[in-house]
Amino acid sequence: MTKMKVRGAALALALAGTAISGALSAVVAQEATFVLTARWVGAPTYNPIKATKLNTATTLIYDRLVLQDADQSFHGQLATSWETSADGKQWTFKLKPGVKFHNGEPFNAKTIEWWVPQFKGTENAFTVEAIERVEVIDDLTVRFHMKNPDPNLLSNLASSFMCIPEPKSYQALGDKFGVSEAVGTGPYKLQQFTVGQQTVLVRNDDYAWASDLSKNQGPAKFKKLTFREIAEESTAYLELKTGGADLIVAVPTDFLPRMQADKSIKVVTIPGTELVYMPINTSVEPFTDIKVREATAFAVNQAEIMKSLYGGLGEVADTFLISSLQESKVDPKYKISYDPERSKRLFDEAGWKLGPNGIRVKDGKPLQVKFWAQNGTEFKRLAEVLQAQLKAVGMQADITILDSSTINSQYRKKTDHQLAVRAYLWTNADIVDWFFSAKRLGYPNVSMFNDPEAEKLNDIAMNKSRNWDERVVNFTKYHEYVLSQYPFAPIYQPVQLFAHGKRVTMPEKIRGSGLSSQSIVDIEPVN
Amino acid sequence: MSRSSLPARIARSPRGALSALFLLGLVLCALLAYWIAPYDYASQNLSLANSPPSAAHWLGTDEFGRDLLSRIIQGARTSLSVSVLSISLSVAVGASLGAAAGYFGGVFDRIVTVIVDLTWSFPEILLALILIAILGPGLHSTAIAIGIAYLAQFTRLTRAQVMTLKNEVFIEASINIGASPARILFCHLLPNAITPVIVAGMLATGDAIVLEATLGFFGLGAQPPLPSWGAMMSSGTAQIFIAPWIIIFPGLVIAATVIAINLFGDALIEALDIRRPLRDG
Repeated sequence: MTKMKVRGAALALALAGTAISGALSAVVAQEATFVLTARWVGAPTYNPIKATKLNTATTLIYDRLVLQDADQSFHGQLATSWETSADGKQWTFKLKPGVKFHNGEPFNAKTIEWWVPQFKGTENAFTVEAIERVEVIDDLTVRFHMKNPDPNLLSNLASSFMCIPEPKSYQALGDKFGVSEAVGTGPYKLQQFTVGQQTVLVRNDDYAWASDLSKNQGPAKFKKLTFREIAEESTAYLELKTGGADLIVAVPTDFLPRMQADKSIKVVTIPGTELVYMPINTSVEPFTDIKVREATAFAVNQAEIMKSLYGGLGEVADTFLISSLQESKVDPKYKISYDPERSKRLFDEAGWKLGPNGIRVKDGKPLQVKFWAQNGTEFKRLAEVLQAQLKAVGMQADITILDSSTINSQYRKKTDHQLAVRAYLWTNADIVDWFFSAKRLGYPNVSMFNDPEAEKLNDIAMNKSRNWDERVVNFTKYHEYVLSQYPFAPIYQPVQLFAHGKRVTMPEKIRGSGLSSQSIVDIEPVN
Repeated sequence: MSRSSLPARIARSPRGALSALFLLGLVLCALLAYWIAPYDYASQNLSLANSPPSAAHWLGTDEFGRDLLSRIIQGARTSLSVSVLSISLSVAVGASLGAAAGYFGGVFDRIVTVIVDLTWSFPEILLALILIAILGPGLHSTAIAIGIAYLAQFTRLTRAQVMTLKNEVFIEASINIGASPARILFCHLLPNAITPVIVAGMLATGDAIVLEATLGFFGLGAQPPLPSWGAMMSSGTAQIFIAPWIIIFPGLVIAATVIAINLFGDALIEALDIRRPLRDG
């Protein structure tokens, strides 16, 4: 009797188990997990206005006025059309009707009127600096009156820092906005966010205002999207391989051969928008001496790094800008690429003579510097290779590995670091302003570069250019001057690699300079 | 019990002899690392990165083309010195504190016990992580952190030993003839209480090597290019599919070392016969 009962219970359990697993597989197709690797890890907030670091999920929570495609053309997202006056002093935007924020609030011209002044006093203020005031023409029309023509306005509006948050909750939540809650108009709503670990998004079922860059004009295909932050690249790869993840945003190049050999994984490659470089802290000894900076910059062997660490994929960097930008075409004499003899000669000239143990010495002090890198295999490996390359010219660089979510606040201490290894993703020359303007010392200006001549050229490039061609000329000059002062050493320009498993398919063409909302809503489950 | 020398007694068991031999070899490697390592542990040769074991590189090379054998030998220096140093620190401070607490008793004893119990309530790894977060990563702070993490067990062990010993007749006799507390503590109590503490210290060294490797794995111990076994394994995880030897060999060495230390510890316990009352020998 007892036995019978037990057997009955076991059978019921087995049946229930089958039912549950059946239900689970149905649910799984509705969900997807994306992995953010080292460079994307550690964004502390989803507040686009105040953030200095945002990840891929941002563009899913919020929409922007315009989007930029891979061919640099602009497409309306929340704006349907726009026009500029002949003198460039007025921009008029028509807005999409029927757009609602996640909390039901309407999106209209009033939102824009509120939104633009919010940037004042933030690190991102430069994006709207040229806008004098915003005029509401009617419910769905706004006009920007400009202080001066800004040829870069559309490009700024397309950046993820110009994602538009919902005004009421933004005001109500204060500093918690973007951390505990984030309200936008995007195809996904923020459900849960743990800094440095994961972001859970749920579908916005009302979404019907995708741009013409997306095939899918309705709500997204997945009910739930989880972005996991995994700094360790081999762990990310294993997660993808074992089914713990569906897609890796930014695959490290050294995994490429392995992934290509793996039939269960598909790799998608698009041109890079990234540049890896080594900032040099110009405000601390020995780098206050420009000769030492120049010597250090010329000690970096870019070709060797590309070949050995990145399997020869991508391009070496010899300026601060990615080579697809016009402003990267500087006079060859400003380019920085490996020249060990020049490096050694400059060290000698600066008074740093080679000591008995291969480390240079000046006034009895060894040439020993603090070298920072953030956690994650790629940065650690880069740091170790750079350490050896610097050693070869007589500099001892002591590596400190810092956690990616705290490293930026550590930079703000300004003088604790001397060298670092960093990467940025950006497709506009104004990145030179972002990382080298004296307004942002510590972070993002990790180099602590503060030079009156550079500030002058910066002002001309940022604020005095009347049209695009003029802006290119001005930014090239500013860029050249920065290069001539050696506040960094360029290293490498990777390509962008995405890898996905069998449960999802990626659109054939990625629209935009990287993977963001317009193409993510076209990622589909495979049934 | 026979009066033969301690090494002879350890060598009597084959496990003891083998483990002692292994440890001796390891210590020699660590001491003579600069002379016996076939290559410079820091010199990179990127064109030879991730090459498998060969005649030129017996254990292969790592992701920077550095010789793995040389790095393991140099790593022995790091791992052994950190663990031995930290456990010595732990034993010295722990034994003094424990002896004083056990001998004087009262409020001092209670304070020490509470603090020690408090540190014991954290897992060692957590305590070490907290301490390194305060001290900053590096070899010195790792040694200090491990030392503090293991302090509790030596304090408690010594305290218990001293408390049983202090009621013995020979101590009473010393008190009666007017010996000072310091003399009683250091000349009579500690020498009689220390043997089990030393053995516990020996065994804890094995744990300390694992803890040092764990911290190294997290990138908190030796900073590059100085190798430590844990850090080598950590960088090996990234190459596990391309160059599995980078993670396997340091792992094997850690395992072998810890096993050897434990076997040696067992042999030591047997040879010293500390399970019997100490003065019967």
